[in-house]
Amino acid sequence: MPDLLNTSLTGMLAFQRALAVTSNNIANANTPGYSRQVAEFTTRLGSGSGNLYVGGGTQISTIKRIYDAMLGEQLQASTTGHARFSTLSTLAGRIDTLLADPDTGLNTGLQSFFNAVQDLANDPASIPTRQALLGEANGLANRFQALDRRFDELDSEVNQRLSLAVDDINRLSSAIADVNDRIAATSAGGQAPNDLLDERDRLVMALSEQVSVSTAIQDDGTMSVFIGSGQSLVIGKQAQGLSIAGSEFDPTRVNVVYEGAAGSTPLDNALTGGAIGGLLEFRSRMLDPARQSLGQTAAAFVQSFNLQQNAGMDLRGNLGGDFFAIDPPTILTSGNNSGSGTVVAAIADLGAFSGADYVLEFDGAAYSLTRQDNGAVIPLSGAGTAADPFVGDGIAIEVGGAPAAGDRLLIRTGQDAAGSIQNLIREPLDIAMAAPTRSAASLANTGNATISAASASDPTDPALLTSAVIEFIDPTTYSINGAGAFAYTEGDPIIINGTTVTINGSPFAGDQFTIDANFGASGDNSNGLLLNGIQTTGLLDGGAISINENYGRLVAGVGGTTHQIQSSLDAQSVVLRNAEDAMLSNSAVNLDEEAAKLIQYQQAYQAVAQVVGVANVLFDALLNATSR
Amino acid sequence: MRVSTISTYLTGLSAMQRLQSTLDHTQRQISTGRRILVPSDDPIAASRALEFRESIARLKQFDRNAGIAQNQLAQEESVLGSVNNVLQRVRELALQANNATQSNETRELIAIEMREHLENLMQLANQKDGNGRYLFSGNLEDVEPVSRMGMTFAYNGDQGQRLIQIGEGRQIADGDSGADIFFRIRAGNGVFTATPAASNAGTGIVGQSSVVDPSVWDQDTYTVRFIDPANYEVLDSGGALVTASAYQSGDRIAFRGIEFSLTGQPGAADEFAVTPSPYQDIFTTIDKLATAIEQPIIGDDSRAAMTNAVNASLQNIDQAIGAVLNIRTKVGSRLAVIENQVDSNAALTLTIQETLAGVEDLDYAEALSRLSLEVTLLEAAQQSFVRTQQLSLFNFL
Repeated sequence: MPDLLNTSLTGMLAFQRALAVTSNNIANANTPGYSRQVAEFTTRLGSGSGNLYVGGGTQISTIKRIYDAMLGEQLQASTTGHARFSTLSTLAGRIDTLLADPDTGLNTGLQSFFNAVQDLANDPASIPTRQALLGEANGLANRFQALDRRFDELDSEVNQRLSLAVDDINRLSSAIADVNDRIAATSAGGQAPNDLLDERDRLVMALSEQVSVSTAIQDDGTMSVFIGSGQSLVIGKQAQGLSIAGSEFDPTRVNVVYEGAAGSTPLDNALTGGAIGGLLEFRSRMLDPARQSLGQTAAAFVQSFNLQQNAGMDLRGNLGGDFFAIDPPTILTSGNNSGSGTVVAAIADLGAFSGADYVLEFDGAAYSLTRQDNGAVIPLSGAGTAADPFVGDGIAIEVGGAPAAGDRLLIRTGQDAAGSIQNLIREPLDIAMAAPTRSAASLANTGNATISAASASDPTDPALLTSAVIEFIDPTTYSINGAGAFAYTEGDPIIINGTTVTINGSPFAGDQFTIDANFGASGDNSNGLLLNGIQTTGLLDGGAISINENYGRLVAGVGGTTHQIQSSLDAQSVVLRNAEDAMLSNSAVNLDEEAAKLIQYQQAYQAVAQVVGVANVLFDALLNATSR
Repeated sequence: MRVSTISTYLTGLSAMQRLQSTLDHTQRQISTGRRILVPSDDPIAASRALEFRESIARLKQFDRNAGIAQNQLAQEESVLGSVNNVLQRVRELALQANNATQSNETRELIAIEMREHLENLMQLANQKDGNGRYLFSGNLEDVEPVSRMGMTFAYNGDQGQRLIQIGEGRQIADGDSGADIFFRIRAGNGVFTATPAASNAGTGIVGQSSVVDPSVWDQDTYTVRFIDPANYEVLDSGGALVTASAYQSGDRIAFRGIEFSLTGQPGAADEFAVTPSPYQDIFTTIDKLATAIEQPIIGDDSRAAMTNAVNASLQNIDQAIGAVLNIRTKVGSRLAVIENQVDSNAALTLTIQETLAGVEDLDYAEALSRLSLEVTLLEAAQQSFVRTQQLSLFNFL
C-alpha cells in the first residue's frame, strides 16, 4: 500500500508539473521568440520485491524546448536579406519619387528655362522678357540646388541610420555576451535554461536585422557571433564593439569600423546584409551615381550655356559674361598622405566627362588615375603642368606641390556640382542675345552678290569687334581692309577676326561688304537661338546625349534600380514568410494542442488521485479485517 | 503540418495587408488616372513619358513663337500694302504729269501731292510695331530706319533679319530690313540706265530699254554721243569706239547685248550715258520725280528733260513696286509656311499625346475590374480570418 500511495504521488506531482508547463505554454502563446516546451515523462525505477520488479511511478525527466537550429539559421539568413532590401527599398523609393515629380524634378525647370530663352529670342529688346528669363534662370539654379539638397539629406540620413545601427549592434552584442555568461553558469546542472536560450535566439535575430552574422555554439553552451569577413562580435561572455568613422578622404562620409582587441579595422565593403548592408549598398549603388549624374548634367548645362553666352553680345554692347557659376571638381586629400601634393582639376571635354569619382595616386615617380565606381584605370595624356595638364575621361588635372610616394587624392568630378550652381547674371541687359558682329552689303554695290549673316566662329579673338571691309578688286578677287588679294569662290567661308561670313552671287569690282561690331542690335536674336539650341544638342557621351536625355537616363536608371529592388524585396518577403512559417510551425504554441494536453493531464491527475482513494479503501479494508 | 496558433493570426494578417497594399495601389491609379505612379512602376515607360511631355512642351512653345512671328509678319504685310498703294498713286501722278495737257500750275499741284506721299512713305518706313520698336530697321530696333538730309535719304538700320524658331530645326524670318524694301532697288530697267546728259540741247527722249543678250552685256559704262543730229557713236568707258550709226527718231540704239529706243531730235554733242543700274532708294526716286515735275516747261528741250526724268522715275517706281511685291510674296509664303508648321506641330502634339496616354494613362475598364476583384479577395480574406479565429477547443471546455 505505501508503494501504491508513493506511485500515485509521483503521478500527481508529474501531472501537476506537466500542467504547469502547459499553462506556461498557453500564457506565452503570443510571446515573440518563445519556443513551446514539452514535459518529458519517464518511469521511475521500481524496487525489487522478490524476483518481481514493480514500477515506481513516473517522473518528468526534462522540460524540453522545441527548437530546430536549422530552421533558426534559415530564419536568421532570410531576416538579414529582408532587412537589407527593406532598407534599400525605403530609401530608393524616396529618390524615385523625387526625380520624376514635376514639382521637384529637373525637367519642368529646364523646359521653362528654355521656353523663356525662346520667348526672349522672339523679342530680344524687351526688358520684361529678359527679366522673366532671369527669373527662370534662378528657378533652374534652385531646382538643381534643391535636388542636390535632397540628396544631401539622404546622405545624412544614411550616416545617421548607420550610427543608430552600430549602436544597436553594440547593445545587442553585449546583451548576447551577458546571456552567454548566464547560460554557461546555469547549464552546469545538466538542464538547459530554456528561457535564456530563447532570449539569446531573439537577440541574434535582432542582430541579423542590422547586419549579416554567423554563429557557432561552443561546448560550454555559449554562442560565438561573427560579422564581416570573420571579425568576432561575441566570444563567450566577451563582446567587441563597432564604431563609425569618416572615410579616408572625407570625414563626413561615414563608414563602420571594427574595434577589435588588435585595434580598429575599417569594414567598408565587408559588411553585407541587414540594415547596414542595405544602407551601404544604397549609398554606393543609388545615391552616389544619382548625384554624379545630376552633377554631370549640371556641369554640361552650365559649361555649354556659358560658352554660348560668352559668344554673344549683350544689350550694353559687351560680349556676354558667364551666365551661371559652378564649382570645379572637388579635390579631397587622403588623411594618410605624408607629402604636400596639390591638384587642380577642371572639365576639359564634356563628351568624355562622366561625373564619377576618381583617385589620383602618386607612386613616387608617376601618377595613376582610377575611376572609383568601376575600378577602371584611366590612361592619362599630358604632363600634368598648367600648360599641358594630364587629361583622362574628359578631366584636365594639373599637379603641383611635393607629393610623397603612395599619396592619394580623391577627385569628385560631378558629385558636388549640382549644389554649387549660382546664377551670375543680375541685370536684364547682360543677357547676350545678339551675335557679336554683323555683316552688311554696301548699298552702292553694283553686283548682285549677297553676304550671309556674320557668325562668331571664334568669339575669343581679341580683334573680334574690329570693323573690316571686304572689297572686290575684280569679280574674282577681293581685298580685306584694302590689303591682300584673295581669290573669291562663291559660298566659301571667309574668316576675319573670328567672324565667319560667306558671300554668294556675282560681285563687281568696287563692291564692298562690311563686318562691324553688332552694337545697338537690340532686335538681334542670333545668339539667343544658339542658346536655345543647347537644350537639345548632344553634349555628353561623345556628343550623343543632350542634357535632357542625360536627366531622362538618370530617372530611368533610378526607376529601374528601384523596380529591381522592389522585386527583390517581394521575393525576400516570401522567403522570410516561409522561414517564419517553418519556424513557427515547429516552435510556436498551438492552443488547441495545449487545451488537449490540459484535458489529458487533468484526467490523468484525476486518475492517480483515484488510486489514492483505492489505497485508502484497501487500507480501511485491512484495518476493518484486523480490528474484528 | 503542425500549425501554431500565432501563425494562423500572422498568415491571415499578412494576407490582408498584402491585399490592402495592392488595393491601395489600384485605388491610387484610379484616382489619378495614371498607370505609372512612380518611375519604378515602369522605368522605361516613365522615362519615355518624360521625353514625350518635354516634346509637347516644346511644341507648345513653338506654337507661341509662331503666333508672334505671324503677328510681326501680318504687321509688315499691312504696312507693305500701304506702301504699295502709295507707290501706285505716285505712279498715276507721274503719268498725269507727263501728259502734255498739264500746265506748269497743275504740275506744281501734282508735285505738292507727290511730296505728301513721300512724307507718308517715310512714315510707313519708320513705322513701329506693337511693342514700340521699328519694323524696318533690321536688328537695330531702336534706330529710326530712314532719315533725310537735304536731298539724300539714309538708311540707319542694319541688314539683319531675325529668325524665329517655329518647329524642331525650323526657323523663319519675322521681318525684312528696310534696306531690302526701300533702298536695295535697282534703277532703270534693273540692269542698266540710259540717262540724258543735263547739258543736252536737243529733244531726244529715252524710251523703252531692254537687255537683248545678257551674255554680251559687260556692265561697262558707255556714252552714246551725237556727232550731229543724224549720226551718233557709242564709246566705252575707255573712250574706245564701240559702234557708230545714223539716227532717225524712234530708232533703237543697240550695242553689247542691250538696246533702248530714242525719239525726238537730239542736238549735236548731246550725250546719253548708259551705266549699269545702281541702287536707288524709293524716296530719292520720288523726290527727284517731284523736283522734275516742279520745273516749269519753257521750251521743247525742258519738256524733253522733264519727260526723260519722269520716264526714268516711272521705271524706278516700277522697280520699287516690283521689289515691294517681291517682299510681300516672301511674307505671304512665310505666313503659309508658319501655318503649315503650326498644323504639323498640332498633328505631332496629338500623336505624342496619344502615345503618352498609351504609355502612362490607366485603362479604366481593366483597373475597375481589377479593383472589384481585389475587393472581393480582401473581403474573403477578412471573412476567413474571422471564421478561423473563432475556432478553439477552449470554447468547449
